Amino acid sequence: MSNLHTPVIASSDVLTAYGAGQDALWAGLMSGRTAIHTSERFADRGFISDQVAEVPDLSVLPGESRSIAMLRRSVASLVGKIDPATPIILATTVGEIEFVERSVLDESPDLLTQARPQVLLNRVKQMLGLTGPGTVLSSACASSTAALTRAAAIVRRGEAPAVLVVCCDAVSEFVYSGFSTLLSLCESPASPFDTTRNGLTLGEAAAWAMITRDNAAPAIAPAILGWGNTTDGVHMTAPDRNAGGLSRAIAKALAMSGKIATEVDVIAAHGTATVYSDAMEMIAFRRMLGEPRPTFSIKGGIGHTLAAAGLVQILVTAEALRKRVVPPTVGLHIPDPNAAGWVFGVPVDLRRGKLALSTNSGFGGVNTAIILSHRGDA
Amino acid sequence: MIRTVAWFCDSHYGLFNPDGESFTRPSPAGRSDELLSIIGRPVKYFSRMTLETRACLAAASLALRTLPAEVVAGNEIGVVSAGHDGCVSADQNYFHDYVSTGRTMGRGNLFIYTLPTSTLGEVAIGLSLSGPTMYTHADRNPLAELVRTAEGLLADGEAGAVLAIWTDLQASVCMTISAGTGGASESLPEVLPLELAGFFRAKAQPA
Repeated sequence: MSNLHTPVIASSDVLTAYGAGQDALWAGLMSGRTAIHTSERFADRGFISDQVAEVPDLSVLPGESRSIAMLRRSVASLVGKIDPATPIILATTVGEIEFVERSVLDESPDLLTQARPQVLLNRVKQMLGLTGPGTVLSSACASSTAALTRAAAIVRRGEAPAVLVVCCDAVSEFVYSGFSTLLSLCESPASPFDTTRNGLTLGEAAAWAMITRDNAAPAIAPAILGWGNTTDGVHMTAPDRNAGGLSRAIAKALAMSGKIATEVDVIAAHGTATVYSDAMEMIAFRRMLGEPRPTFSIKGGIGHTLAAAGLVQILVTAEALRKRVVPPTVGLHIPDPNAAGWVFGVPVDLRRGKLALSTNSGFGGVNTAIILSHRGDA
Repeated sequence: MIRTVAWFCDSHYGLFNPDGESFTRPSPAGRSDELLSIIGRPVKYFSRMTLETRACLAAASLALRTLPAEVVAGNEIGVVSAGHDGCVSADQNYFHDYVSTGRTMGRGNLFIYTLPTSTLGEVAIGLSLSGPTMYTHADRNPLAELVRTAEGLLADGEAGAVLAIWTDLQASVCMTISAGTGGASESLPEVLPLELAGFFRAKAQPA
């Protein structure tokens, strides 16, 4: 195993409810202002919430999905600038789910074939002029993190010099109704790790990251040193209250990275703002890392962006390491007693910004942890 | 490498195990008690699962039992899947139910199967598996790439063995992937009964 390469995030971009680009995302989070708003979109549906974090000014052409509209805007800067043979991994949970909606509402079963995830992959490849291998990867709300680990594994083993990871999920009636049915939505903007938290807010995002070998990337490109993917095997929608699966994912990520828990400077939590998921994460962090360290969630700012959640928070984490400041957990006012001393509603300066842990969990009991390293001023 | 292959479809189910028992038997036509006897252990919420999920669980349980005890004990077993349809059928079922009840609320029991990894979650719960679970469908040679992904998880130490499942509305095929020599041929269709091999060869082509 001595011939392994170090995978890094050589370049990236993101589109969220704060607008286009990583600067807008960072500025939005640092402002402490949420991009979650009241929406009239599902006003007559009787759902338990009307809160949502939608991408602003999104131009959706007739007949196309919000996902493809977001992806077109997100990857625009890549068009014509990427080796056509580059492998691509597309992470999504529901893809172009609007085609399922329309097939049922319009009684047009032919539309169902357009909802296949491979169709969205083909659209993205055409958009970018890619002719190399493509893969759709889905692992619930840990999809883009799992996709990053697959891309990193391919680069690490030298199977390809670069892999493009693209992720996207849009707010839809399909998903909104489902989470409403499960009573998972909060009536007000989500407040991760707060004592009053009582549910998530759905958001939407698209993002991409080019994973390459370290010697083919800028010196400041953050390195993916280790990762762990596990499953609780306990419940389809609820987390393991003992945090066994997430704890094992963190342990595996640390072991692969060759780092120890005391070296972790900052934690990017999944932080959905549901009662049990946030509590489960804190059990894992306390068990695996011991002493408190700055921890944040971005979901109070941009909502839960499902498949895109992992990559988006990792890009924020990379910025936090670069700037040596942890963004506030937007919506946090009074931390849950189990999270006090870890999460903050204001920015926190880092004494050392070298190593970060980012975690995601999701339906089916999936857990993913990544160890991210800042290389710039090593 | 692929060690064993189990499958479950409408007409029959079976197991190919070069180091042990191999068989083909008529399927129990969706009867829960007979399906559970194939799975060989109690499964919570079995009756709420989609037919595809039940078939997948049956194939996975047959395959899992062929793994050597030393591989299963103390190791995390991963579950990866591929299939052209993802979970579009389950998506359609949920949304149709939601629309038919006035577009205010659908059934949660249908919504939870609307992810490509929902079935894998049930497999992990039902068979007490704790390794990685992910749906990973390549646009070229998706079957071969599924096996490659499983082998990658082994090579990186992410799992001690992996169940690689091809999901489809008409059949579930589960391969056990673990380190070592022997086992089934890597040319999967060659080791399957003729009827299933033809079906599988056709399904494994790019969409």
